[in-house]
Amino acid sequence: MTTAISRPRRRQDRAGYLFLLPWFGGMVFMIVPFFASLYLAFTDYDLLTPPTWAGLANFRRMLDDATLHQSLKVTVIYTVVSVPLSLMVALAVAMVLDRGVRGLAIYRSIYYLPSLLAGSVAIVMLWRYIFGYSGVVNDFLAWFGIQGPGWASDPRYALSTLILLHVWTFGSPMVIFLAGLRQIPAMYYEAASMDGASGWKQFRSITLPLLSPIIFFNLVQSLIASFQTFTQGYVISNGTGGPGQSTLFYNLYLYQKGFAEFDMGYASAMAWLLLMIIAGFTVVNFLAARYWVFYDN
Amino acid sequence: MDTQAFSRRRALVLAGTAGLAATLPGCGRGFGGKGADDGKIEINMVWWGDAQRAEFTQKTLDLFQTANPGVRVKTEYQDSSPYKDKLAARFAAGDPPDLMAMRFDSLREYADRGTLLDLAEHAQHLDLSGLTAPARALGEVGPQIFGVPSGLNTISFVVDKALTDKYGVTIPNGDTWSWDDLKTFAAEVTRASGGKVYGANFEPWTVANLLVFARQRGEDFFTADGRLGATAGTITAWFDLTEGLRAAKAFPPAGFIDQNNGASPAQSYLAKKSIASQIIPSNNLLGYNQACGGNLVMLRIPGETTRRGQSIDTPALWSVAANSKHPMETLKLLNFLINDVEAARTAGATRGVPPNRAVAEQIAPGLDADNKRATEFLSALQNEKLPPSYPYPVGASKLTNILKTIGTEVEFGRLKTAAAGEQFITEARKAIAG
Repeated sequence: MTTAISRPRRRQDRAGYLFLLPWFGGMVFMIVPFFASLYLAFTDYDLLTPPTWAGLANFRRMLDDATLHQSLKVTVIYTVVSVPLSLMVALAVAMVLDRGVRGLAIYRSIYYLPSLLAGSVAIVMLWRYIFGYSGVVNDFLAWFGIQGPGWASDPRYALSTLILLHVWTFGSPMVIFLAGLRQIPAMYYEAASMDGASGWKQFRSITLPLLSPIIFFNLVQSLIASFQTFTQGYVISNGTGGPGQSTLFYNLYLYQKGFAEFDMGYASAMAWLLLMIIAGFTVVNFLAARYWVFYDN
Repeated sequence: MDTQAFSRRRALVLAGTAGLAATLPGCGRGFGGKGADDGKIEINMVWWGDAQRAEFTQKTLDLFQTANPGVRVKTEYQDSSPYKDKLAARFAAGDPPDLMAMRFDSLREYADRGTLLDLAEHAQHLDLSGLTAPARALGEVGPQIFGVPSGLNTISFVVDKALTDKYGVTIPNGDTWSWDDLKTFAAEVTRASGGKVYGANFEPWTVANLLVFARQRGEDFFTADGRLGATAGTITAWFDLTEGLRAAKAFPPAGFIDQNNGASPAQSYLAKKSIASQIIPSNNLLGYNQACGGNLVMLRIPGETTRRGQSIDTPALWSVAANSKHPMETLKLLNFLINDVEAARTAGATRGVPPNRAVAEQIAPGLDADNKRATEFLSALQNEKLPPSYPYPVGASKLTNILKTIGTEVEFGRLKTAAAGEQFITEARKAIAG
């Protein structure tokens, strides 16, 4: 009896490890920098001369580093606004596509495309063309006699423009939502329709609960990715985090500190602080999940 | 899950310390791997610039390699901003290039940490006697020499004459104009064009611009002994100046200029014909004139009549790594780049006017019109008594970001110019001290 259960389980385990293999492979190259950065976080390291032990000095400096606080603010605002927005858009589009649109594969690819392009220089050019002071948006506003601001060059609006760019790249959560929606048995909806439940009621009582594990997965993934935003900010602002410090993402500031300002010890400490923050958010996420994620098995 | 995803990022950032160096050869022109078995000594030379400069540089190196068959020069280049980051990474990885282009504002970051060769100790292999004292001073730190100017330049004001002619505005005399003249002239262009073209723009956060302004007020922005010499009053006056220009519509309104716009001549607002004049480094005249339709007039910086602010500077220094495995060959190459007439002729004016004055005079007649104009502009300045430029102190490379952040707050009216001056001095002192 016991062997009958454990054999397929062992086979499953083996398959699991097989799938994990690439990760273990990559880990070999990560483990050294990972621990090296932990050490460097407690040193004064300018890249050019050997690191010297500094104890907690780097972490103490963080307390009154106004730029660090600004970069945290930018990153948190960006995450808190853009993650829910992009997940909502992704779910909405996935539900429309799930209705059985003809040429689903084509639509799916088209909507997925921005996710691949968002960090590219071509998008930056396009973004300027649309949101620049003399861009398409302001040309449109000019018809109504309004002179719009520089949506990308004005520190009051630059971050919002980047959030829009993030929301536009809803492709990857959308693909996952789409797969999740396909898993919900059609009979639930048929039964609900029979009982006269409205579309909204069906969404609230069937789609949302049954999709909640997928939403949770997407939420955790997006949150982690959003805190680590680097490429979009880097290409849009040429690595400066400008205008002013309005798009200075945490990782952008970390990069500036480490590579442009010869302060790799501080940059390493920043990396570990970010790890703590992300870990904290993820733990809260998992704890909260108990109250709203519903597993149908 | 978080640790996994995160450590990938960590690895990216940290392994970058060593790993970025590995990506360097992919971007430049490589000539096979290290330690090729043909018995040649290979030296590695890195610099920043574009494809045009790469062509000139390669031709010069071909000359050197023909004359020195035992040496192979493996050269790599990229844009200035990634170059800066990757250079530090190469030192961190223990694999510094033998010969490298060094930013003027970063020289002491490297020199003070002992990573560069003191060229003063190798005077018998590197002849710097052809350079004027101000040119030599660009790479001097006390009695030591850590860099040699790859060329000489200065900042200049270029005006698009096609636009001023179109709107019937007279360009002021560039040798005698004041900042007020600039305001009157530029506001007139804006008015005459009906707001289609703004008269002028320049970046308030470019330290090189502010440096000239500070000297005109009798202050060394950086002192000879590497301290901050500028006062809060000067910074405030600088922002009063730029905001005054904006208020008079001589400058475009806040937000018109995207400070994240690329830095190349083709991407400039001057080439887009949305502004009629701006400040450029004099060695970039050729590139800008090509991008702007060939009608640029080159003027001095305003306000040079009472006290001089302009100085002879360099777009980049050449430095040698302290632990270069082939210092003699590297010095030979550097000496060739600085003092050889044919080398200078081949390189043209891509890095500015040759630092060796005799060489510069010999190649001047063969230059094309724009480069000749830029050279004459600089030579005229060289004949005058100008304040010297000193290498920026350690930490000075942070000042651009500080100035940019404060400048943006001022531009959008969220910070008064008086407070901006105080704030800059406080932050700049901290950056230079720590």
